[in-house]
Amino acid sequence: MDQAGQSRAIGRRVLTAPLSGRARREAVFALASLPIGFGFLGLALGGAFAIATAAGPAPDSAPWTAIWIPVAALLLLILAVAAARPLGGVIRGLAARLLDEKVSAPTALLTRSGLPARPGNPGWLAAQLTDGSGWRATAYLLLKFPVALLELYAIAWWATGIADVTYPFWWGLMRNHPPGVHLSPVPVFTPFGLSGTGTFQVATFPGTLAALAAGAGMVLAAPWVTRAVVSVDRWLIRVLLGPRTMAQRVRDLEQTRAMAVNDSAAVLRQVERNLHDGAQIRLATLAMNLGMAREKLDPDGAPADLVAVRELVDAAHQSAKDALGELRELARGIHPPVLDNGLADALATLVAGSAIPVTLTTSIARRPSAAIESIAYFCVAELLANAVKHSGADTITVDASEQGPALRLTVNDDGRGGADPRGSGLTGLSERISTVDGHMELSSPAGGPTRIRIDLPLQA
Amino acid sequence: MRVVIAEDAAMMREGLSRLLTDRGHEVCAAVGDGDALLAAVAEHRPEVTVVDIRMPPTHTDEGLRAALELRRRHPGTGVLVFSQYIETRYASELLAGGAAGVGYLLKDRVADVAEFAEALVRVAAGGTALDPEVVSQLLAGRQPGVAALTARERDVLTLMAEGRSNAGIGRAIFLSTGAVEKHVASIFGKLGLPPSENDNRRVLAVLRYLGAC
Repeated sequence: MDQAGQSRAIGRRVLTAPLSGRARREAVFALASLPIGFGFLGLALGGAFAIATAAGPAPDSAPWTAIWIPVAALLLLILAVAAARPLGGVIRGLAARLLDEKVSAPTALLTRSGLPARPGNPGWLAAQLTDGSGWRATAYLLLKFPVALLELYAIAWWATGIADVTYPFWWGLMRNHPPGVHLSPVPVFTPFGLSGTGTFQVATFPGTLAALAAGAGMVLAAPWVTRAVVSVDRWLIRVLLGPRTMAQRVRDLEQTRAMAVNDSAAVLRQVERNLHDGAQIRLATLAMNLGMAREKLDPDGAPADLVAVRELVDAAHQSAKDALGELRELARGIHPPVLDNGLADALATLVAGSAIPVTLTTSIARRPSAAIESIAYFCVAELLANAVKHSGADTITVDASEQGPALRLTVNDDGRGGADPRGSGLTGLSERISTVDGHMELSSPAGGPTRIRIDLPLQA
Repeated sequence: MRVVIAEDAAMMREGLSRLLTDRGHEVCAAVGDGDALLAAVAEHRPEVTVVDIRMPPTHTDEGLRAALELRRRHPGTGVLVFSQYIETRYASELLAGGAAGVGYLLKDRVADVAEFAEALVRVAAGGTALDPEVVSQLLAGRQPGVAALTARERDVLTLMAEGRSNAGIGRAIFLSTGAVEKHVASIFGKLGLPPSENDNRRVLAVLRYLGAC
């Protein structure tokens, strides 16, 4: 491209920039994120001010304020950090939609035992206060305040520019008074003078052309001003609202690895226990019954007691069949063969055997990795077993569907609710899920219904 | 012979009761956990008990704990512990108070009904019945002294430790009683144990040496 062509291209770009989708989206982002930027700091300062005012000027007169002021301050802090995460999520969502700035969410906040950190789960407060992502989101929201001021200023470029461009068009309509009437000049606002009498005033129609020119200049400049300010915001979003830093991630992985190791040890222990109490005992009994039968058939002894022998052989036969059945169940418990055909088939087989009718829906286009399928299968199996055991439900619905990069499982029942997230079964599930950075949400108010949602990554 | 059985698997419990009843023994009680065992023994005063190691509530070693308590409270009652695994530590604990009236067998051994019943009778009479697995594990733990033994002497020692008499050992490995006695004398020589005239005391001595007690 020659130099003239290059200049033309740049010129075209400058002229069309205000009309581009990107300029529009950045302006919308700046505008839409303003309330959060101002609101967070505003509420935090308001809360702090309220506490300070309530404390009063003479703390000596009321010694109990020495107790409740720190408590109130701590509550405010907890509230701020807890609120920062979801607010950060809103900003992330706006940035993803409007700025195409796709920052992945930090991993779900879990307590030390792997439960979602919500009031009611043990250790949620400690998790909340030591949540690096929460603190970084708080930092973002505090820094967002000055950035939001700048963004507001960028919006002013757009607003005043567009307003100024219109001056010549309404001038004739508004300024058609008879000659001799004294009219004050009309102020023209620009980002360089936004208050009072404006940057300059116009009193005549040719003057409005100056406003038009200034407005056009501002509209042409506005996209670039906006872009500069929003790029600061982008950077902050990437740094502060993204996944945790490497060190925190390593700590997370250490924790979930410990869970994974413990989980597999627990599974092996369970397998041993099942063998010990099941097939092994049946085979020992079988051997004993056959041993007794053989004694009764011993040619050296008295004439064989065929009735007794038959009884013993019958018992041995039954033991052999029971042992086979138990070994089959055990093998299936380790890895259901139908899982090789995919999760949908395996779940269909699983729910078919449920004591409570189950409505199953699946939509899984991409096949998850084997580990994820296995975890998903055993989660559903455990949740169904729980529902059958405790819920008293009439129907259960199970859904497994792909949601972006995640596999979402929902298991709902219309039973009596009251499932305890701290129970060993659900804790175990939650730990197993967190080993692959998955996440479980449980809602089970007393009286029901119970709703459980599990998100697992498709690959692990 | 009067027997109390403690075994948590109902099937096995019934099978054992039947086996012993068939052979003319009296099963006074068949219970499912350690506390019930202690109560049943206190009530029925049996000559021998058959005790499973893993029982409720923890399914770890409460049978063994109960057996040890039984040895303390009722020294005259024989205790045959049986389990699906042989743990050297359990054997050592069990034999710590002496090997008289103690047995430790794998559950598999009930398949050989006659041998199992004989072992139980032996334990009831104050003898010893150790599973070959127990013995080989205990022997393995004492290599220095045992290393000096010939293969044949080790066979003899193993059978002796299981609780058999010289005649029984001879029958098992097709030797005359005299030949067995010679091996036994040689074993004691190599292990540095003074000879004794009492068979049972010899077994105890061997077991003590093996580190079981």
